[in-house]
Amino acid sequence: MRRHLAAAIVFGAAALAPTVIEDAYLLDSLVLILMWGAVSAAWNVAGGYAGQLSLGHAAFFGLGAYSAALFATRWELSPWIGLLVGAVLSTGAGLVIGYLSNRLRGPYFALATIAFAQVLQIVASRWRGFTRGSEGIPVPFRPGFWTLGFANKATWVYLTLGVALLIYLVEVYLEVSRMGYRLAGVREDEDAAQAVGIASRRLKVVAIAISAALTSVCGSFWAQYVGFVDPAYVFSIDLSILFALNTIIGGLGTALGPFYGSVLITSLETFLRAKFSGLAAGLSSMYLIIYGCLLIVVVRFVPQGLALWLGQLLRRRIGVARA
Amino acid sequence: MRASHVAAFAQLVVSTILLGGIYALIAVGLTLIFGIMRVVNFAHGEYLMLGMYLAFWAFTLWQLDPYVVLFVAAPLFFLVGLMSYFLVMRGVITASHNVQIFTTVGLSIALQNLAQVLWTADFRIARPWHASVVVPFGGAAFNLSQFVAFAVAGALTLGLFVFMKWSHAGRVMRATAQDREAATLMGIDTDRVYRLTWAIGIACVGVAGVLMSPLYSVYPTAGLQFVLLAYVVVVLGGLGDMVGALLGSLIVAAVEVVGSYFLGIAWKEVLYFVLFILVLVFRPAGLLGQRGAETLGA
Repeated sequence: MRRHLAAAIVFGAAALAPTVIEDAYLLDSLVLILMWGAVSAAWNVAGGYAGQLSLGHAAFFGLGAYSAALFATRWELSPWIGLLVGAVLSTGAGLVIGYLSNRLRGPYFALATIAFAQVLQIVASRWRGFTRGSEGIPVPFRPGFWTLGFANKATWVYLTLGVALLIYLVEVYLEVSRMGYRLAGVREDEDAAQAVGIASRRLKVVAIAISAALTSVCGSFWAQYVGFVDPAYVFSIDLSILFALNTIIGGLGTALGPFYGSVLITSLETFLRAKFSGLAAGLSSMYLIIYGCLLIVVVRFVPQGLALWLGQLLRRRIGVARA
Repeated sequence: MRASHVAAFAQLVVSTILLGGIYALIAVGLTLIFGIMRVVNFAHGEYLMLGMYLAFWAFTLWQLDPYVVLFVAAPLFFLVGLMSYFLVMRGVITASHNVQIFTTVGLSIALQNLAQVLWTADFRIARPWHASVVVPFGGAAFNLSQFVAFAVAGALTLGLFVFMKWSHAGRVMRATAQDREAATLMGIDTDRVYRLTWAIGIACVGVAGVLMSPLYSVYPTAGLQFVLLAYVVVVLGGLGDMVGALLGSLIVAAVEVVGSYFLGIAWKEVLYFVLFILVLVFRPAGLLGQRGAETLGA
């Protein structure tokens, strides 16, 4: 119950924010926090709940982004159709990569997923006739619901909030359902789970496919929001790392963890980026040095995630105060 | 076969062998760390990049030849390795894979951007005299630097192989890789083993960077493209296997050379990532590695 209360506060605050905040910059940050939180939560379905630490989820994100962008520009159809097609393609891709890498564990699985995303990145940047190659595709802004063109940032807040809620609910389902319990069993001890008759391999493949479809949906929205897709970004290993990073910092395998992680990392990133942007071109990447060091320190000292750790800390404090 | 075909074939073979030597240079350090510590060093490419910058600056500022720098680079990178072991790796050696992966990823991000801040994103290349000395070989022409890189790669791989197989330290390292707890019970100081492994691995890749500097341009993300290749090589060759790394390098180089010849340079990367996925799927233990290693949570 306490957990749902926390979710209500987090998502409620996001829903109320546009009524109070009018500053476009802050609203943009909020959209990004919700967006990256949602993708990370989608990653969490495979990475946290199924224990399949993928470093290639940008593959699905990119598929979604490219589908939406291509449908909007090449065929002048609704990006909503692109979103659906992207989700179907990503489900397929998730099934394939999930099936192929089924036996692999630990670093082997991570390497296989990286290779998979790299293949898509190279294909997208070389297949010039179809994707415009590394030039990327600018997505024109056409106002309207059907064309997913909203000038108003507040609308984007509600849209990304909707996606975030959807993915959050999928995660909650994984915590209370039969499938979720089985997944937890497989994650903790695959051999034992198999011994009690759980079809662990199939279960993991399904989890990756669900995770891929959700990631793809976020990619489609992202393409429309930003208005530009290129292979160097949407299929990049940096992006795959970000999804995993948000989740690990917030709390792996917890429904709200990825969102906490995104609040921390996305706002830190926007803050540091703004702080260093005035400096010379080289110096502006100072923030990434800080980011890298922070990552090392966090996974080293609070591997269970900052959110969980803060919660424990608070509870202990309150407990002490009561006593 | 016409004479031109023979020449083309000879050129492909020699190109493959020379390129394979370069890949082996990067892969031996990675496979050593991977094999003994069971850690995938995602920052491996960044140490390579640092090695290339070292050679570049030594040449630009003091006109020092990369082959002279080589003798400084090996001990220097050994020290850098020791330092990063104490600062970063020591605390995560018994941690879960997630923690280890993200520690080295964090290291990679930090080093890459440190280079960006210090030396900007410009592409730079050092051109010592031997980079422009052309050696005719098998009907084609190659750089002298390529031959030297290949020779050093061969010597380094052989040296490490001998070290691992017959020296006491090598035996201790292999014992630790096989069973950490049993090794500890036998009185092996595993912390020291990991320290040594990491430092040797980093020294190897630093040397690789120096040797590659006359051949490739260096920029802050230069490591990434090579390290992805090195993973392919290492997995292909088999976890922690030195000879496997050499064999894997040759196979990857052959795929690349033959692929670029027939399909064009643009698609060669797709070829080796597809090869990588196929190897991971069908023979994840590598060509020479032990079967089942990939499911041990290795």
